[in-house]
Amino acid sequence: MLLRLAWAARSRHRSRTLLAVLGVAVSAAMLLDMVMLSSGMRASFKNLLLSRGFQLRLAPKGTLPFDTDATIPDASGVAQTLRAIGGVATISPVLGGQAHVIRGDRAVSATALGVDPQVQGDFELLSGREPHASDEMAANDDFLNAAAAKIGDTVAVAAGYDPQLRVYAGRLTLRVVARARFLYLAAGQRAIALPLATLQAMQGPASADRVSLFMVRAAPNVNVDSLLRRIQTAIPTVSAISTETAMRQVDERLSYFRQLALILGVVSLAVGFLLVSTLVTVSVNERLGEIVVMRAIGVAKRRVVLQIVLEGVAIMTAGAALGLVLGLGTARYLNSILASFPGLPAAIDFFLFEPRDAWTALGMLVSAGLLAGIYPSWRGASLPIAVTLREEAVA
Amino acid sequence: MHVLLLVAALAAQQIDSTTPPRPPRTIAIDERLAADFRVAVGDRLILSDTWGGTGDTVIVSALVQRRADPSEIARAEYRVRMHLDELQALTRYGDRVDRFAIATRPGAATDSAIRAINSAAFGFQAYRSRDIAVETSRTFLVVSRFHRAIGVITIVASAVFLLCIMLLKVDERRRDVAALRLLGISARSIVRSVMIESALVAVLGSGVGVALGWISAWVVNWHYRDVYRTPLAFAVVTPSVVALAVSLSIVLGLAAGFVAAQRLVRVPALDLITGRRAA
Repeated sequence: MLLRLAWAARSRHRSRTLLAVLGVAVSAAMLLDMVMLSSGMRASFKNLLLSRGFQLRLAPKGTLPFDTDATIPDASGVAQTLRAIGGVATISPVLGGQAHVIRGDRAVSATALGVDPQVQGDFELLSGREPHASDEMAANDDFLNAAAAKIGDTVAVAAGYDPQLRVYAGRLTLRVVARARFLYLAAGQRAIALPLATLQAMQGPASADRVSLFMVRAAPNVNVDSLLRRIQTAIPTVSAISTETAMRQVDERLSYFRQLALILGVVSLAVGFLLVSTLVTVSVNERLGEIVVMRAIGVAKRRVVLQIVLEGVAIMTAGAALGLVLGLGTARYLNSILASFPGLPAAIDFFLFEPRDAWTALGMLVSAGLLAGIYPSWRGASLPIAVTLREEAVA
Repeated sequence: MHVLLLVAALAAQQIDSTTPPRPPRTIAIDERLAADFRVAVGDRLILSDTWGGTGDTVIVSALVQRRADPSEIARAEYRVRMHLDELQALTRYGDRVDRFAIATRPGAATDSAIRAINSAAFGFQAYRSRDIAVETSRTFLVVSRFHRAIGVITIVASAVFLLCIMLLKVDERRRDVAALRLLGISARSIVRSVMIESALVAVLGSGVGVALGWISAWVVNWHYRDVYRTPLAFAVVTPSVVALAVSLSIVLGLAAGFVAAQRLVRVPALDLITGRRAA
């Protein structure tokens, strides 16, 4: 009965109700997007870091992984020390660098990763096999397209270019044995992976027994924080970074987006609240006569309040449902804009949809609709019956 | 480029116990580093290119403020400025540099200099500073595109909100409008008066909005300059932004007023009074 009355009241002014629902839908879409933005990139980054099960990263002291060109010296010694630390299950060394693939009179540049194929956590194979032999490499599609190469081809690769002598340094002929997707690289970034020893040899004495990064997987049931502390004590020349530390760093660098999400989310909620409260207030003012008649024939104040509050909640719920669909579309568009951030891993999503986000946005909007209707409905239902009836009759 | 690591002596500000072979050189450090490690001008530090490696004693001669450079905004690393030969020696880089900065005379000198360098150069390439700035500002270009997209959504939301409010406002006055119509005031005059009223509301709202925007920009700059420790301006209220916002607001206000008034004047005056047909 209450729902039918609320529906009848809203149906009386269809265009007004439709506009209000549309307004709430835009606010709801914005709110959902901001809820997704505030948590999405964090969740997405965490998923990325843990995608291959490595919980710790060891970078040169004072740096973040691949943030600079600095490398860790005495890599084999560091690896040996790591293996001696209880709780370390897997160690994956990585050396970064540039590769120039010479095709006739032109060269295609790419990011080169020297890895241990047995334990690497930087790429996943799309086809082919891991590059185990010293003259083998895996490459991503961007590289293969640019170099016009395919699995089975051999390519001349150089690890450096001397601009003064205009010659390529560290040249080697490698065979493409796999197509791969690199997890931590930006979209469109050309990349190859080859055995660590091969890349070290190509880069020359400066990279002998050096790596850019160690990724460490802890043994099951080992406390990662305590393992991190043990590593830091045993190897003071590196910075050990846990997933949580990396998340904090990302939070710090991208705090702007979280704060923007908070501000715009609050504004969206406030706009939705204002819209519904204005609509309900005007609606109550227009129907004062109807309300006091209901009160005069014995309808309880609580019931009148409930009916009007229901109207607000109905508008908010309808708007929120429409807004959730709209929000998913706009989130996709906004994500495509932010995905073009220079250097951002292609796997990172700023707007990651999780059902919890939708429920959060819906819950906030319905609560706002509820609050928006309480005051005007209470005011309307509390008017003196006789006086209001008389005033309405005169009007 | 090699990364310089400031060794442990930085925090403790110890004086190098070994006698330097020559008088210590001077360095300039960024003010964030000075603030975080409580280093002051005149302090002696040991610089090394590896953690725990043999260092070189230097004296801090100046503190420098970070440049307003968007490409540095998300980078939290500290900066040390030192004499070129000192850095080359410290990093065993030899007689090499990463780049030269060249100042040219005003006018077309830049183009001709770039052409001359690129045709004569052996092993390096000349770029215009502006082109490099565009490349290093890509992060902010993405953020700008994101802001524009958010702006469009906000404008759509504002338009719907304004239309809704105008509709309610005009609807509330249907009896007044009916009375005016019965007195012989033309529908056109009523529409005009509603539009003028909505334009006035839009102008007043724009004024408040501009003031709020200016305050918000001030707060945003104050907050993010502190967070990122940069002199960069994050939000700027320019005359063109104000003109765009005000004109958009007036256009939206007029459109909303027109739509709302048209709906009202289409209903016969008597129906408006009796409420037989809702506007």
